Amino acid sequence: MSELLHVSNVTAGYGDGPAILDGAELTVEPGKVHCIIGPNGAGKSTLLKAICGMLKVRKGDVLYRGESLKGLRPDQVLRKGICFVPQERALFPKMTVRENMRMGGFSLPDTSNLEKRIDEIEERFPILKERRDQHAGTMSGGQQQTLAMARTMILKPDIVMLDEPSLGLAPKIVQEMFDIMRMMAAEGITILLVEQNALMGLKNSDWGVVLDLGKTLFSGPAKDVLQDPRIQDLYLGGSKAA
Amino acid sequence: MADILQTLILGLALGGVFALMGSGLSLVFGVMRIVNLAHPVMIIAGAYVAYWGFKLYGIDPLVMLPVAIVILAVIGILLYKLVFEREARSAKYSEMTVLLTFAVAMIVEGALGGLFTNTQRVTSPAYATDAIFIGDVFIPTGQLYAGILSLVIIAGLALFLKYSRFGYAIRATTQNREAAELLGVNVSMVALVSFAIGIGLAGAAGSLVSFVFSFFPAKHWEWIAVLMSLVVLGGMGSLLGTVVASFLLSVIAAFVGTYIGATWSTMTFFLALFLILLVRPQGLFGEKPELA
Repeated sequence: MSELLHVSNVTAGYGDGPAILDGAELTVEPGKVHCIIGPNGAGKSTLLKAICGMLKVRKGDVLYRGESLKGLRPDQVLRKGICFVPQERALFPKMTVRENMRMGGFSLPDTSNLEKRIDEIEERFPILKERRDQHAGTMSGGQQQTLAMARTMILKPDIVMLDEPSLGLAPKIVQEMFDIMRMMAAEGITILLVEQNALMGLKNSDWGVVLDLGKTLFSGPAKDVLQDPRIQDLYLGGSKAA
Repeated sequence: MADILQTLILGLALGGVFALMGSGLSLVFGVMRIVNLAHPVMIIAGAYVAYWGFKLYGIDPLVMLPVAIVILAVIGILLYKLVFEREARSAKYSEMTVLLTFAVAMIVEGALGGLFTNTQRVTSPAYATDAIFIGDVFIPTGQLYAGILSLVIIAGLALFLKYSRFGYAIRATTQNREAAELLGVNVSMVALVSFAIGIGLAGAAGSLVSFVFSFFPAKHWEWIAVLMSLVVLGGMGSLLGTVVASFLLSVIAAFVGTYIGATWSTMTFFLALFLILLVRPQGLFGEKPELA
């Protein structure tokens, strides 16, 4: 099995506070959609923040293509090809859609092709083209999430980490977000998804990871996770859910 | 009729200057959540730069303006490095900065008093006491120059924020610090440069103020409430809001001064501050207040 990213035995937390992650393990394979599920406080978002450099890895290591990401700042991790879309507040509400897109390319050393690249992405997301001069904060939740996800594509990243893209969205819109995510995966972008809505998240993923109390409990093909009776009882709202 | 027009013109002329005085305060709050009570004393410091340039070497305050910007921006950088940078990650940053900047204001006021005494000063280039007459109404030339130049500087700032790469970084950091950092913005650098620009703007405002108002070191206490009312009415951190609020309040203050009495004119700003906080605490162009 080839692995793109490997999180081994990672401990991390906020400030001087207690460890939220306590020996988490994760293996990310190229081109696949990985869904991390688990109850509130399990450390799902914390894991993404530890990978992208927002939180310090206290113990263990994060290896990306065999190279440690430990101690790097978020902008350095980004330049290696890992984009993180944080929960809910990934946008600049009083900048236009187009300006938000430009911010997506802020880390590029050469911005001469940036406008062309944004045009290409706008072609694929007509709503963003239509709303290009509108303030991002005035768009609907689904449109904002679309922008946040589409914006990552400017950098042609290897890995996109999404923290609860479904949060606060109507079920129909949630499926649209997962469709965009699958489309990104089809283009070879590896996805690392954290979802509170475990059932929908797993149904749209290739690989499932169950996190609880900062530890990885289970990791396997998403189908297996969905059908595992223990996991159904604990995290998917009982056997009737599947 | 002529009275009304005259009052309006005087109000508008001062509005531009107030807008420049408030813009640096607004920028610094927007980017760093620093409530800079030391902003007005920095304006006084800028006024002294222009004053001494004129007094000692006969240099026009308009020429001293870029010098004041540079001197004050350097002071801003030192101040930020010494006082504000280390606390930037604190959850209580905004609250702390109120006390820190209050202390800075006292220290700078004391230093200015020690160096230059508490005598009232005013820079007096020829145009400061001149006026242009159009029919029955007159426009004081000094205020006209100061007002126009203020608007030019603010327009320059707005264009810089809107179109330059660093401007994008400043706006992004103002609106969503975490997301800006995740997209590769060096937010500590943005904070430092914005602070330098903010204090530099105080220097620019000071040069203009030096021939519009008489000043002395302790004068800044009077301006704190005036500038706070502008920035709060405009919406903390909104440049456009600060400009609109400045014109609005200074025109109202001019009318109060003409028709009710000059002593009540300054009260306009204090009253406005109370009313805004009661009725619309986020101001004209601001976000809903975030207390956390």
